[in-house]
Amino acid sequence: MKPRVLFRKSLLVRYMLIVFAALVIWPIIFPLASILYQLTTDYSNEAKLKENIYAGGDRLEKRWHEEAAALKDAKEAAIAQRLRDLKREFPKADLFWVDQTGRTRLMLPERPGIPRQWSAGDSIAFMKQSFNGDPFTAVAFIGQQPEQGFIVIQVPRKLMVSNASFDSAHVFIIVIAVFVLFIASSWWFFYRLRSRLVHLEEAMTSPDRSGIPAPVEVRSSDEIGQLEHAFNRMIGELQQSRQRQREEEDLRKKLIANLSHDLRTPLTTIRGHAHSLQQEPLSDRGMQSLTLIDTKVGDLAQLIDNLLSYTLLSAKKYEFHPERTDILRLVRASAAGWFPVWEKEGFEVNVDLPEHPLIWEVDPQWFARILDNLFQNVLRHAASGRYIGIRTEMRTGREALVIEDRGPGMEAVSQGKGAGIGLTIVALMVQEMRLHWEVASNSGGTITLMYPKN
Amino acid sequence: MKQRLLYIEDDQEIGQWTSEYLHEKGYEVVWLTSGDQALDAAENSDLVLLDVMLPGLDGFTIGQRLKKEHPHTPILMLSARTAIDDKLYGLQFADDYVTKPFHPDELAARIEVLLRRYEKQEAAITELKHLHVYPGENRIVDTRTNEELVLTGKQYHIFTYMLRHRNQILTKEQIYEGVWGEPYIEGDKTLMVHIRHLREKIESDPSQPGIIETIRGIGYRLKL
Repeated sequence: MKPRVLFRKSLLVRYMLIVFAALVIWPIIFPLASILYQLTTDYSNEAKLKENIYAGGDRLEKRWHEEAAALKDAKEAAIAQRLRDLKREFPKADLFWVDQTGRTRLMLPERPGIPRQWSAGDSIAFMKQSFNGDPFTAVAFIGQQPEQGFIVIQVPRKLMVSNASFDSAHVFIIVIAVFVLFIASSWWFFYRLRSRLVHLEEAMTSPDRSGIPAPVEVRSSDEIGQLEHAFNRMIGELQQSRQRQREEEDLRKKLIANLSHDLRTPLTTIRGHAHSLQQEPLSDRGMQSLTLIDTKVGDLAQLIDNLLSYTLLSAKKYEFHPERTDILRLVRASAAGWFPVWEKEGFEVNVDLPEHPLIWEVDPQWFARILDNLFQNVLRHAASGRYIGIRTEMRTGREALVIEDRGPGMEAVSQGKGAGIGLTIVALMVQEMRLHWEVASNSGGTITLMYPKN
Repeated sequence: MKQRLLYIEDDQEIGQWTSEYLHEKGYEVVWLTSGDQALDAAENSDLVLLDVMLPGLDGFTIGQRLKKEHPHTPILMLSARTAIDDKLYGLQFADDYVTKPFHPDELAARIEVLLRRYEKQEAAITELKHLHVYPGENRIVDTRTNEELVLTGKQYHIFTYMLRHRNQILTKEQIYEGVWGEPYIEGDKTLMVHIRHLREKIESDPSQPGIIETIRGIGYRLKL
């Protein structure tokens, strides 16, 4: 049964959530941002007040009034002294003192623009200019009474905490931030989708030794998770069918092995007893018959071998392991095995192979089998030529292996002599190993030529 | 002393016949129809003749166990199977392989070669043309002069290797790898040079060697 994707785990739902959040966030984001801003600035003001003596206009004004009240009925010298002390305390502030007659008595520091003698107009102009202006200005009557004149402190606003309000720059930053957030979350969403798909693709295209990819780990139950589940199910089915196929193959091999055994066992007995008979005193005809029996037993065994090999080969059930092989070495080893037989038959053996290795991509077992079949055929069907030549030759720019005999030719031998199956096996193997082979045959002999296709 | 062969074969007819044949050839033959007793019976055997298809434990399993228990006893497999993978599998532990229907004389020859290779044969004097070889004493005597031949280590190795594989054609790769114990590099002339020097010592006419034959294009053969 196919499990359904849970609604809340669906990729579609997740993406819709991102889009929805992106739309809904606008009406919420501004009030939220201003509240946040307020909270953070308040918090930072607290901190600033502690370390900055100029911060906080209220505090400064309160302090200034306290100082003025404390100077009630003070002597002029005491007032001047107190102002100097205060200047030391607030070195960045401008202080001045105007007495009841409107004369500027002390300026710390001396600066232009402050009248020496204040008129009523000057006072009003100063008050107008100072109100909520920069610098911050606090004016206090000494002893809270105008009789003693007034003292003024002016602090540049930049030293104080600004109570800047929520302005267009902030709006811009918030818009950009939200935008970036939206893009980043979309990107992340698709990036993760993509990497999971790529991961799945990699799993599909990297099969193990058996040619079947390994199952993937399913971490999520969304649509891709379902895809991964389906993939794993498919792998499972593939493995099962591969297993069944292997079992069938084994069964078939076993069957063929048993068949081979059953056919060969009586042949072995026949050959053994023929050998025993040969030890008995027999007429020449009797001896000839026994020799014939022995030869035919050998032929039959070879035929069984070829027949069963052909069955396996044509069903592609023959093991095939190609590797880079020096075929000349295989040719020499095979020829060494056949040499005594050729010698016995009185063959002229002409082996002329180069010293350097000749590397082809073949299965050594198969190649040895090909050589065996070819040599077997020479012995069986071309023995009358009493010649076998093994050499290499350049053919279309490639070094080819050449096996040559001086038998009566293929036309003469193929008539019902069963040479076919051995050559059919050679043909199948040669094709599988991507070798090119040619057979040129006439009444003067047969030349077999073999070289790799690429 | 007769050499003892352990022969494991389930087919009555073949077993009966082969045992008798080998007995006539001068071997003491112990014939078992299954592999169950094989490990114990192999104790005093000089060679094991093992059929692949057996009831119960198959020949391959028995062969592997035998080789593990008795690594110095040669195993000759007899098989009616042809699939090449079986041959490969068998040869990992088996020393040689004869396919049914084997020719009795071929079987006898293979047994002899294997026994010689494992040097379980009594050290007999081998007569080789004008040479007498005493394998036990590492001595080669020229009967014409009655003098002992002095060979270098490698020459002696090559000579004994070929003597053990007498009458077999050996490719240069086989000899090189058998004597030097390392892969043969194509085009290497070392072996040729050694054989030339060896011939100068053992052949009566090195230009027409009678002991170590050259099989042109294939290899060499020490013919007895």
